[in-house]
Formats: sequence, structure tokens, C-alpha cells
Amino acid sequence: MTETLLFYGFGLLSILGALGLILFKHPMNGAMSFVITLISLACLYALLSAKLIFAIQLIVYAGAIMSLILFIIMFLNIGESDLPEERGRWFYLAGGIVAIGPIAILMQRAFKTLPPGETAIVGDGFGGVQEVGMVLFTDWLLPFEIVSILLLVALVGAVVLAGKREVSE
Amino acid sequence: MIHNYLTLSVILFCLGILGVISRRNVFIVFMAIELMLNAANLGFVTLSRLHLSMDGHVLALMVMAVAAAEAALALAVVILLHKHKGKLDTDVFNLLKG
Repeated sequence: MTETLLFYGFGLLSILGALGLILFKHPMNGAMSFVITLISLACLYALLSAKLIFAIQLIVYAGAIMSLILFIIMFLNIGESDLPEERGRWFYLAGGIVAIGPIAILMQRAFKTLPPGETAIVGDGFGGVQEVGMVLFTDWLLPFEIVSILLLVALVGAVVLAGKREVSE
Repeated sequence: MIHNYLTLSVILFCLGILGVISRRNVFIVFMAIELMLNAANLGFVTLSRLHLSMDGHVLALMVMAVAAAEAALALAVVILLHKHKGKLDTDVFNLLKG
């Protein structure tokens, strides 16, 4: 019972945060409401007994990535005049709802064919560091190494793009 | 209950698509993409709970790593474009237009 209540509470919060993201005009307000979405998603992961993912969602997503985005937004010092005027915004939004709605209903129907499952919280042996680590370093070792190369490439690329340019004579 | 989680994931994904379609601010578009990645993550974790296997959690970890790399690169590009054009409008960034 408590679980169901918590699910509806956090689900509603995450949807409200996402709505705030796509409706607020200033990116700073959008980013703050997106943080709400990320934190309530972390709580939903905890409800699904994904303990490691819960911690990493909070630390990496709500912590690192969002503070990077907020830092850049503040760094660029965006005022009212810098914002693009979005005249066709409501028009595109309505068109998007008309186009996306049927796809959403289709996906929902497809998920309905899955067997109904319990979501009671599993204690030991699921979702902890040990279990995820065992799978990550045996079955998923090659993707793990590829992701590390990807992070290195992204690091070098970001430095090359945003770093100071020497003027070639 | 599993179905409710998956429905929430679909709703969040569609809101992300709507954000990308309807907004022209680079930051909002970028964060809407992050929202779609998060909705996919919720789907992975939910299905992992349904089948009691850890593969979904590992996939969610991979998605987070890719999102972190994407954030670093995308923000570098945004800074560069803001330096050159002084705007945050996605319509201004049309260097690749034929």
C-alpha cells in the first residue's frame, strides 16, 4: 500500500518536473524542474530495489551532469534578451501531441502484453553492488571497456572544442 | 504494478520528444534528450525487476556513462556556438545546411 502511494507520488512529481522542463521559458527554471524529475526517478529506482542505480542516479545524474549543465547556464549568463523567441511553440506542441499520442498508445498496448509482475521490494541478492558488479565484469566486460574508451574520446573532444585556440601564424 | 512503471516511462519519453519538437532553446532541447535517456533507463530497470536479472541495471549504467560523455561534448559545442553566434537559438545553428 505504502509502495503504491510512493509510486504515484514520485511518478506525479517526475511528470510535473518534465512538464516544467518543456514549458518554462528560461533554461534555469527548466533545469531546476528537471532536477526534480531526476531525483524522483532515483526514488522510483529505489522502489524497484535497484540500490546501486539509485545511488548512481543521484550522484552522477542529479549531482554531476545537472551541476555541469547549471554551471554552463550560469557561465553564459543568459538574460531575457538572449532567449530565442519561440513564437510557434504552442503550435508545435499541439502538433507534437497529435503525432506522438498514437505512438504512445501503441507502446502502452505493447507493454500490456507483458506478464504482470510483482514489484515488492527485494532484500538481498538483487540490485546491490556485488550482483551488478558480477554481471558487469563477466558478461558485459567488452561493452564496459568500450564505454571507457568513449569517455576518454569525449574528454579529449571537449577539451579540443572548448579549449583556447592558438592562432596559427 | 510493472505496467504502471512502464506507462510512466512511455509518458516521460513522449514528454522528451515533445520538448525536442516544440522548443528552440539549445539547453532545453539538450535536457529533453536527457529526459528521454532517463525514461529508457526507467524501462530497463523495470524490466530487470520483472525478470529478476541484473542485465537491465548494467545497461542503465552504460546509458548513464554515455549521457555523461554526451553532456560534456554537447556543452562544449554549445559554448563554442555561443561564442561565435552569441545566441542560443537552434535555428541559428545551420552551418551544415546545404
